[in-house]
Amino acid sequence: MHTKILLDEDQMPKAWYNILADLPTPLDPPLHPGTGKPLVPEDLSHIFPMELILQEMSPKRMIDIPSEVQDILRLWRPSPLYRAHRLEKHLKTPAHIYYKYEGVSPPGSHKPNTAVPQAYYNMKAGIERIATETGAGQWGSALAFATQLFGLECTVYMVRSSYSQKPYRKSMMQVWGAECIPSPSTRTKAGSSVLQKDPETPGSLGIAISEAVEDAATHSNTNYSLGSVLNHVCLHQTITGLESKEQLAMVDEYPDVVIGCLGGGSNFAGISFPFAGDKLKGTHRETDIIAVEPASCPKLTKGLYTYDYGDVAGLTPLLKMFTLGHDFVPPSIHAGGLRYHGASPIDSKLIHDGVMRAVSYHQSEVFDAAQTFARTEGIIIAPETSHAARAAIDEALRCKKSGEAKTILFNCSGHGHFDMSAYDAYYAHQLVDYEYPEKLIRESLARLPKIPGT
Amino acid sequence: MELPLLLSSTLTMCVIGLLVNPIAGLGGAVGLKGTDGQVGEARARGALPRASGRAMEALALLSGLPVCFISCSGAMGEEALRNAGVSRYEVAYRASSGLTSADDTVAACRIFLERNVDLVLFCGGDGTARDVYSVLGDATPMLGIPAGVKMYSAVFAVTPTAAARIVMSGCREGGHFLIRDAEVVDVDEEAYREGELKTHLFGIAKSPYVRGLIQSTKQVFESHDEERAKTDIAHFIREVMDGTPDILYILGPGSTTAAIAGELDLKKTLLGFDAVKGGALVASDLHEQAFLALLKEGTQARLVISIIGAQGALLGRGTQQVSPNVIRIIGIENIIVVATPQKLTETPVVFVDTGDPDLDTSFGTHISVISGYRIARRIKIGTGEIPSPNTG
Repeated sequence: MHTKILLDEDQMPKAWYNILADLPTPLDPPLHPGTGKPLVPEDLSHIFPMELILQEMSPKRMIDIPSEVQDILRLWRPSPLYRAHRLEKHLKTPAHIYYKYEGVSPPGSHKPNTAVPQAYYNMKAGIERIATETGAGQWGSALAFATQLFGLECTVYMVRSSYSQKPYRKSMMQVWGAECIPSPSTRTKAGSSVLQKDPETPGSLGIAISEAVEDAATHSNTNYSLGSVLNHVCLHQTITGLESKEQLAMVDEYPDVVIGCLGGGSNFAGISFPFAGDKLKGTHRETDIIAVEPASCPKLTKGLYTYDYGDVAGLTPLLKMFTLGHDFVPPSIHAGGLRYHGASPIDSKLIHDGVMRAVSYHQSEVFDAAQTFARTEGIIIAPETSHAARAAIDEALRCKKSGEAKTILFNCSGHGHFDMSAYDAYYAHQLVDYEYPEKLIRESLARLPKIPGT
Repeated sequence: MELPLLLSSTLTMCVIGLLVNPIAGLGGAVGLKGTDGQVGEARARGALPRASGRAMEALALLSGLPVCFISCSGAMGEEALRNAGVSRYEVAYRASSGLTSADDTVAACRIFLERNVDLVLFCGGDGTARDVYSVLGDATPMLGIPAGVKMYSAVFAVTPTAAARIVMSGCREGGHFLIRDAEVVDVDEEAYREGELKTHLFGIAKSPYVRGLIQSTKQVFESHDEERAKTDIAHFIREVMDGTPDILYILGPGSTTAAIAGELDLKKTLLGFDAVKGGALVASDLHEQAFLALLKEGTQARLVISIIGAQGALLGRGTQQVSPNVIRIIGIENIIVVATPQKLTETPVVFVDTGDPDLDTSFGTHISVISGYRIARRIKIGTGEIPSPNTG
């Protein structure tokens, strides 16, 4: 019985899977924040290269991965698929647990799967600098890694609370030549206005996005790049699901359950879309596809499915998605990550339409799972990833009760080597289980943008 | 004691009023559960004064700091200062007789107030805290070195050493202490001796604290003070109230709920229950009968309460106006608990003791506590008895 199921380099997928081609009903279009009308490609051209804008809206099912991008992805891809024998034994479950390990990439997470193509397309479009935001620093460090491979400059607006809590991510960005600025900053109007109202603010991803978008929009040599949420980001991540499908086929398996953690939704999209596509096409109708989110930021289980901005300042297009409101600032001392107020429109639609479902966990439960995983499989996983591990373990325990030998696949999206302070807090019993007081918030919520006809 | 030159030249002198209640804790050692009116009995049972020793334990750690103590004669302070090796002090109050009383505490605190001290450090129990607070109110911060029989008030440090650490941290900042609200709880000693804990909230003092261990890990980013947290909570609850103008809101005692009233520009009784509807004050300082009158005819109501005292009491302690009957009419699902993160750090477990065990059980194992703007924390509800206070 294999522990690692490996693909050769030449078996790495040559094209990404675009689930837009298989949606039974089209995605609600993104709307212009000023006019409320559906976006046209030109609306985005001042912050994104045209190739990515076309991918964002493409009806093509498979989209070729440029060979220059493949060359770089081969630094760590195809990534291994593991059978979690030791975890199964520990849980005494008849279930087969597989995890796709994305922590083998140089920045240590799934993020470079999209950072590399994004940097590539910007380079091809003659862009000299990319501005972006980062929460915990995974995305910022991935984009820093990717931009320097193509000779681009990189400016990262890092959520202030993480900037002070995760100094080593900042150091990584420096090694890869990026400039990392704590957000909110005085460099942008959006940041200055937040700081003026609230000098003590811990910052949020929504604020950092506003700053990066403003930076890109006001500098002609600079574009913006987003590490999650958008269709083209989810597209680039599908390489993980496509590889997993091939790897499982090598051991004659197809998953009954597919699990990923969800912050903005791209790592979840990456592992799940190829399987969700099969479900939509009717070849595997019964696959249970589960997005896992923190109870402290539960947009999928407690948010509204509606049009909302992607950022605090309201600079981004309006996206139809599950949201807690664009002005939601999640608890800054929540250690588990996944703190974005919204979710990818495609993930949102598929969850809303019942193709996939969502569950939420408190962070202490999540760290319990991370510890179990580390003590059986050896890998110390990122707090974000631990949400997926929690759900996988719970599914396996359900199988133990029912006696079913289900095949469970989860995306083990990154290692936790830069998150050890969160583990320290767990062992010191200092993790706080945050909750989202849904009923009260609904009563108080009158701040979502009013879109006619929605 | 001479200070090193560098220290004395760079740090501002911090002025602390020090008061020791010499008879505090006398009753405890001999099973009297309190010393109010029991000094003679306690002494007859062979109780030895211990407050001075407890104070000395704390003061010994402070002897090298740029602090000037203003204190009282003999066992009310001077003795402990001298024994701890503190030389920089002034005796500003002299007790008229050897047997000190609450009047002496009150008189000494008046002098501390006149002298504009940065902090009143007192050594005693809940009774002493009550007497000190009756003079200081929230004008001057107070901190207790635990030496009494009962310390249900939140103004006490856990141990004399902890008290010294809090003082040191403020002195390093030139007398700028980090301040939080701390309830002073009055315990009915006669009932307590009968095995029943009856308390009521006497007042809300200002008390210094040091950020707990939680702040020492790097994953924590919390530069906000408690005032800021209260404002965030109040802002959120006001938005909820704005969105539900037909619901009657009953705001319980405490400064967090007072902040909510403040957001609505309403004047709330700090220690009582006030009713608000549609942004207007409907009734103040409600008692059980008034509650029942307000709640008749199916009025939809919500109770907004905070956590009281150092032991994390949610209902029961200091909130006797809300009878089990009242809670049943309002419905547990309509209770909104609010508390600052600072408060929750000290009380990771809360206790419900309505006086009706069936009702207590129906609160379940966890409760959601609003701790910020649109944020709640899941807090464990403790089972069984409310724990005994810390006696160090």
